[in-house]
Amino acid sequence: MRRGVSLLVVVVLLVGGCGWPRDTGTTLADVRDGVLRVGVTESPPWAWAPDQGDPQGAEVWLVQRLAQRLGARIEWYPGSETALMPALKDRVLDLVVGGLDAQSPWIEHASLTRPYVTTRTFIAVPPGVAVPDDLSGVRIAVPAGTAEVAALTSEDADVVAVPEVTGSEGLPVVVGEWRLGDKLRASEHELAKQDHVWAVPPGENGWQVQVEHFLLDLSHDEVTELLLRAEDAR
Amino acid sequence: MRVSDRFELPPDKAALHRRAVRLEWWTILFFVVAITMLAVTLGQSQAMKAAWIEDMLGLVPPAAFLIAARYRTRTPTTRFPYGYHRSVSVAFLAGAVALFGLGGYVVYDSAMRLVARERPPIGLVEVFGQQIWLGWPMIAVLFATMVPAIMLGRVKQRIARDLHDKVLFADAEMNRADWLTAGAAILGILGIGAGLWWADAVAALIIGADIVRDGVRTLRGAVADLMDERPLVVDGSRPHPLPDQLLMAVLDQDWVADAWLRLREEGHVFAGELIVVPRPDTDSLVERLERLEKFARGFDWRMHDLVIAPASRIEGKP
Repeated sequence: MRRGVSLLVVVVLLVGGCGWPRDTGTTLADVRDGVLRVGVTESPPWAWAPDQGDPQGAEVWLVQRLAQRLGARIEWYPGSETALMPALKDRVLDLVVGGLDAQSPWIEHASLTRPYVTTRTFIAVPPGVAVPDDLSGVRIAVPAGTAEVAALTSEDADVVAVPEVTGSEGLPVVVGEWRLGDKLRASEHELAKQDHVWAVPPGENGWQVQVEHFLLDLSHDEVTELLLRAEDAR
Repeated sequence: MRVSDRFELPPDKAALHRRAVRLEWWTILFFVVAITMLAVTLGQSQAMKAAWIEDMLGLVPPAAFLIAARYRTRTPTTRFPYGYHRSVSVAFLAGAVALFGLGGYVVYDSAMRLVARERPPIGLVEVFGQQIWLGWPMIAVLFATMVPAIMLGRVKQRIARDLHDKVLFADAEMNRADWLTAGAAILGILGIGAGLWWADAVAALIIGADIVRDGVRTLRGAVADLMDERPLVVDGSRPHPLPDQLLMAVLDQDWVADAWLRLREEGHVFAGELIVVPRPDTDSLVERLERLEKFARGFDWRMHDLVIAPASRIEGKP
């Protein structure tokens, strides 16, 4: 057993610092000073692909920052998660971003990074509007076609589905925490919590660790700022 | 003659057995802690699932031992006239099945991972604000579970030999299997870190094959026990010397012309039948037979239940 311990120590010393862990393939080596192939799913304000030009959004800009750091040129591949995630498994793509959550069911195809930011969805109110504890019968503006509609309907709230929450509805509204400020204040009703991750090819641990270092170094404020910029850009 | 008693182990062995019971409680505690520690460090990964199943199976032999320990000394009843000694044999079977199941699962799981060419992802984790590769804490936890498993296994094996306790022996094998799989997992994680995606599965496959071999041997032993195989030493490697020694001692009695003995294991103790052919003109045969029974039981603590029948001739010995 003592031999085992000393072997372990030697291994740790050998690998300390120099490129550990390594990819099972060659993703990190290919990306560095090469091409970064990124799948983007539509999920504003995190990422979206306009009809013309490069994708936009908070995570898109983060990818650009990462690529710059690695000296990589980016190729964007907009698509659905169903199309993009299986492409990760066989290393046709190097990265998939677009508002992915740590709970996403793609772990058979992709490796999800450690969550780098947690965002909450609140019912927020403009100044002068109040939200009672009991939501039944309360009119609330909610982005149409989202799970929040169902969450509020189940509490008997009077859901006003809007294509886009602007904050000037004069009603309590459902928004991500980054939009809270002077114009909208959070109520006590927290509807959802999302741990945001990116997806990388499974087993490309050197590359994954590189991406995770980049993401974990981001502060919550930095991400909030990018999200606000993304909201403005739309 | 007295046809039933609760006695099973002599005082020194009983003390050893109490120690074994304490050890098994520690083992259960150890596995529960290990399961929790693995859950915390490994999160939702596939490796976690495998380790979890392994640790669950590791709970079977100590649980079987402790349950059997409650039953084994119960007095025979009209429903169970042979007593409850065999609860130990039943526990042995349960432990053997668990060991075999563990080996089978490890082989299946790692073979499937190889076939699917599964590439295990291991990323970063933040510990006290430091970003470190998750592989290191995983190795630390696995190493921490290895050390107690090795020590528990060693002590149990020694006690198992002294007590002639096969459940305990199977459990010691289980602990061995446990630290071996942990060792394989450590090698696997190092392999993954070095970019060898297959290292984990191959290491587990080799260890799994070893556990299966162990499991098959133990399972055969347990089934053979229930088939009333002649007593074997606790690791099943050779026949137990007691039956032959006892038969020699019986034949040495001056009034015995011929004798035949068959014994089976009932958990810790042996039971069976002795047929003796007295020399012609042997007087007070009943008293002699009763004395012989006392002699046999005093011969060794394992000799627990012996029915002696006189006969004029013995034929058809196997």
